Amino acid sequence: MKAMTRLPALCAIFALLFLLTACGTGKTTQPESEGFTPKLDSQTEGSITVVGHYNNFEALEAEFARFATYYPNVKLTYTYLDGFSKILSTALTSAEAPDIFFTYPWMGSWTDGEQIFAASENLADPALGIDLSCVRENLLKKDDKGQVLSVPIYTTTYGMLVNEDLFQKENIPVPSTYSELLSACDAFQKAGYAAPILAYNSSGEFLYPLYYPYFCGQIQGNEAAISELNALKPEAGKYIREMLDLTADFMSHGYLDLAACSALENNYDAVIMRFFEGDVPMMLATGNTVSGTEKREAKSEAFTQHPFRYSFHPVPSTEQGGYFVNTVSIGFAVNRNSANLDLANEFMRFLVSTNELNLMAKAKRMVTPCADMSLDRVYAPFEKLDSSRMINLSELGLSDAAASQVSHAGWQVSNGLMSVDEAVAAFGAIE
Amino acid sequence: MKKNWMLIGNIAIVLAILALILFYVRSEQEKMLVSETEAFGNMTVAMESVTTNYLIGEQQVCNSWANYLNANDLIVEDAIAFVRDSIISPEIMAHILFSESDGFAGISTTARAGTTSFDVSYKNIAAFGNDLEKLLERNGTVRVTRAYTNPTNAIQSIAFCNEITVRRSADASPERAVLLRIVPVSSLEKKWTFPTEDYQSAELSLIDTAGNYILRGHSFKNSNFFEFYRSYNSPTSSELDRVTASIDGDSGVLTMRNSSGTESLVAHTRINSTDDWVLVTMIGMEALGYREVSWTLAGIIALGLLLLLIFNLFSMQQFNRELRAAAVAADRANQAKTDFLSTMSHDIRTPMNAIIGLTTIAAKNVEDTAAVRENLRKISLASNHLLTLINDILDISKVESGKLTLSPVTFSIVECAENLVNISQPMVKAKDIDFNFRVSRFEHEYLFADQLRINQIYINLLSNAIKYTEPGGRVCVELHETESENGKSAKITYIVADTGMGMTPEFMARMYQPFSRQTDSRVNKIQGTGLGLAITKQMIDLMGGTIDCKSEVGKGTTFTVTLDIPLADKLTDDLMLPQIRVLLVDDDEVLLETAKDTLKSIGVQADTVQSGEDAVRAVQANGPYRVVILDWKMPDMDGIEAAKRIRAAVGNDVPILLISAYDWSDIEDVAKAAGVNGFISKPLFRTTLYDKLNELLGSEEKRDTEDDTTDLAGMRILIAEDNDVNWEIISMLLGMQGIETERAENGKVAVERMQSAPDGAYALIFMDVQMPVMNGIEATKAIRRLDNPWAASIPIIAMTADAFSENVAECLAAGMNGHIAKPIDMKLVMKEIKQIKEESKA
Repeated sequence: MKAMTRLPALCAIFALLFLLTACGTGKTTQPESEGFTPKLDSQTEGSITVVGHYNNFEALEAEFARFATYYPNVKLTYTYLDGFSKILSTALTSAEAPDIFFTYPWMGSWTDGEQIFAASENLADPALGIDLSCVRENLLKKDDKGQVLSVPIYTTTYGMLVNEDLFQKENIPVPSTYSELLSACDAFQKAGYAAPILAYNSSGEFLYPLYYPYFCGQIQGNEAAISELNALKPEAGKYIREMLDLTADFMSHGYLDLAACSALENNYDAVIMRFFEGDVPMMLATGNTVSGTEKREAKSEAFTQHPFRYSFHPVPSTEQGGYFVNTVSIGFAVNRNSANLDLANEFMRFLVSTNELNLMAKAKRMVTPCADMSLDRVYAPFEKLDSSRMINLSELGLSDAAASQVSHAGWQVSNGLMSVDEAVAAFGAIE
Repeated sequence: MKKNWMLIGNIAIVLAILALILFYVRSEQEKMLVSETEAFGNMTVAMESVTTNYLIGEQQVCNSWANYLNANDLIVEDAIAFVRDSIISPEIMAHILFSESDGFAGISTTARAGTTSFDVSYKNIAAFGNDLEKLLERNGTVRVTRAYTNPTNAIQSIAFCNEITVRRSADASPERAVLLRIVPVSSLEKKWTFPTEDYQSAELSLIDTAGNYILRGHSFKNSNFFEFYRSYNSPTSSELDRVTASIDGDSGVLTMRNSSGTESLVAHTRINSTDDWVLVTMIGMEALGYREVSWTLAGIIALGLLLLLIFNLFSMQQFNRELRAAAVAADRANQAKTDFLSTMSHDIRTPMNAIIGLTTIAAKNVEDTAAVRENLRKISLASNHLLTLINDILDISKVESGKLTLSPVTFSIVECAENLVNISQPMVKAKDIDFNFRVSRFEHEYLFADQLRINQIYINLLSNAIKYTEPGGRVCVELHETESENGKSAKITYIVADTGMGMTPEFMARMYQPFSRQTDSRVNKIQGTGLGLAITKQMIDLMGGTIDCKSEVGKGTTFTVTLDIPLADKLTDDLMLPQIRVLLVDDDEVLLETAKDTLKSIGVQADTVQSGEDAVRAVQANGPYRVVILDWKMPDMDGIEAAKRIRAAVGNDVPILLISAYDWSDIEDVAKAAGVNGFISKPLFRTTLYDKLNELLGSEEKRDTEDDTTDLAGMRILIAEDNDVNWEIISMLLGMQGIETERAENGKVAVERMQSAPDGAYALIFMDVQMPVMNGIEATKAIRRLDNPWAASIPIIAMTADAFSENVAECLAAGMNGHIAKPIDMKLVMKEIKQIKEESKA
């Protein structure tokens, strides 16, 4: 009886305490980066400007907010530069020169590439204290002097988006070998899916996720072949034959609807929105395309009404599985002439950590450059691949021109515009 | 049950107050929001005016350039040279671009950074293309591009446009081209200075009605304002439509969460000088102090109420606990009083029973003188016990009421010790207790304190020790002086140790509480009130002293009392004897040392030996001594045997004193036969030694003795007493001393007698205090006011049952000369009378 009479009183007290706790300001504090200790005075004032070719960079804005918990008086700004590749070197010497700028693996081939790298800080300088060990080593590019002038922020790869719910519904296992891929397509066709696999069909991009990683796997480490391919010698066509045979073989099964593929307007919005319709078991795509999926889930009425689980897989082009062809999508470099050099380096020291880089990758659903890739379940299948099947395009040594010829050849064959023999013979001159 | 409902009631009140506060805060917030919204909206409109004026000004400059170029049919190099010359500010530049088919290529007023080339191309700039053509169609308005990267210097800029006609070369035909006046975004931002500090964190953007940023502030995210709104606010389609419609309108204010998730105020207004540009300003609610102040206030009040509630709850519980404790204490006190009264009733009735019963027996056996004497002796004993009981009750009642006060007088600590010995002797002898009273020499004999209370303390402890020690046990008393820290007082330590029954720790914890007596069958057989220790402790506390007790059941108890007593002015040097030599004999080395010191202080040189045999040798070898002082109990040869030997050795000339701690009546005859001339008791006080030696030497000072009352015969004393029995007792007792008495029935009669009496008619007046008609105090005052000097100065001694010290003080203040408490002690009465007699002689 006594306990019963106490109950209302206790309830009232808890209600009062609850009410009190609700009297907070509602402020939420940004989570702080684990293990980061500021080197500069936390009251340091200044600004950091990052420039790049993204119209909008929310993942970086989130990092700005996290950095601001350590340096509240530092103003961080991201600015989109019109004609980035043409204007960057000018921007680096302008009155409003950026402190940090985007870099690409192919930047070295720019006419002003040397000038740009000359203006870049050596981020491997021990004095800066940047811990580069969190980045997969083969992604870090060092120059002749051993300098690291750019740190990868996002990487990309090639593969296929898989509608896991459809596979489950039709009781078909997600393929991990080429024969399983064919079997899965066959099974889907029998289940009423006329075209179980879809891909954006534009010059150089149709079936690219299937044949290009396969091709890279064939020539990796073959210096002579790469040398001949880079020289665009017609006789180097022999090195693309196997790849073209694979392409032709896959096309011969009729699992692709060319008209439907050609109807896709672009390799980003259109591909994603089509995949979200929910009736495509597999969609060949690049990592860049996958990066747009999360934001577009809400934009797709079909997906909103009938959401499904999906993931990104290597395309199984051999009986041993597929390849993880990895290339840096964007990197960050620090302008060594920056008026805010100390702050810019401090921001990079903050950013280059497994935690922050993975958060950035997750926010934009890009492939992280970090050794630890487990953060985003969509990319989880790539983590299961053996390290021997991982290829860094930058290390491969294939020139852009040669890669372009390979791409064109594959597209010609997959679209039935050239036979395999014709494409092999025409290597170096395929348009 | 009631407590819980009270708790619920309190919490309900607190919750109600909080709800009211929240309601009030919300109401105030809404008012503030309305006010802030209006102010922020007005500020945005003001910023729009600034922006419009700036844009119009810049456009007009561009237009004036275009007008000049169009009017002068220039080739492009001349045109750009003209414009270059027209530019005043170094941050401004101009471009002339040819048609879109040429990829918006052209010439700049400034060379590209790091080169000498003035060529410029807008091919890769998204802000151009169709947008530029559409812009040019807006004749008559400000035609300015969205922010873009100036291809000449890579600085974010906006460009004001106008169409011009120029020739590519002198030979070429006039051709349509576009003139751009290019201004860095930072220049425009400098114009956007917010008028008050409140808006320092506000940011601006320029958007078009589709939400695309023309110029994007730092806190504005995404590439489109509506996308920004969608990304961080998850609006329904109707909410989004409402925001879109609002932006499309003239001006307005809305709230939204920014990219940090904080509530923000967004105001927008159309730029008048453009077709579809909108100025959007955004500021966090916290920056306006909107939420922070109100919630802080609410939080503080809520916390205060909660603390008040908790405080009240705890206070209430504390009060309840105290009340319960007080009730329990009151119950206990009542029970204690009941027990006490029951005990007192028993203790009072017991001696009363003895007195009444023995009186009856004596009355019936009045012829049997021996029986009557024995009954009277027993009646006297019972009366004394009754008096002690009454005194204790009175004392404890004064202690409990906090009215116990001290009446300091000058007294001798030595006499005090003598009294102690004298008082304790009968009890010691009766119980055959080994009694040892050791007194060290006092540097300061005369002290100034309440002698009666000090005596009471010492007697209480000593009588307890004797009472609770079994026959054959031992009681040791030590009294000594140590140096006091302040130099104006003496630290007197009194130690009473016995080998009695001891006390349990449980009883010791409460032994100073009134009415407490140890529960013990042996204790119950001993008369006591349970008040002695309580009174003793209170008195010691009142005197600023300490009392310490160590006791063990079955082994005994030791009490130590330390009192810091102020020194009196009177010195001890008035007791001096002629310089003589004496021999002091005792086996106790300490006693020899202290007694030798004492003798020296009264001018006597003492030789000491520690046995009877040594004494005999000493009187033969070192004599003659004027006196030999022998201890009675010594090993080998006792004092009586030693006296015999001394007499045998040196004859009868030297007087011999025998020291004994006890009554010597048992050995008196044997000792005198052995040649002992007198006896002296331990401890050997200074006055004791002085008096005894003086007597032996035949030069004893004339001192009054209580028994010598021959010179008082014929004295006349007026006694003011209303009670017949009391009058009868005092008149009879004084009559037995040959003193004549005359009665006054009350104070008034006494005054009248004194008015009419001839000089010297009375030697003094014994004045009762409480009397009808006129009390003793008033009567004394009246007598002191009489004109007759003899009558006005006659000695008046209070004789009253008002025995408290304040009563004594009141009597003295009224003009009385002394105070005797009832029941009267005839010794005291006679002492007072003799003192007055002596003074009158003087």
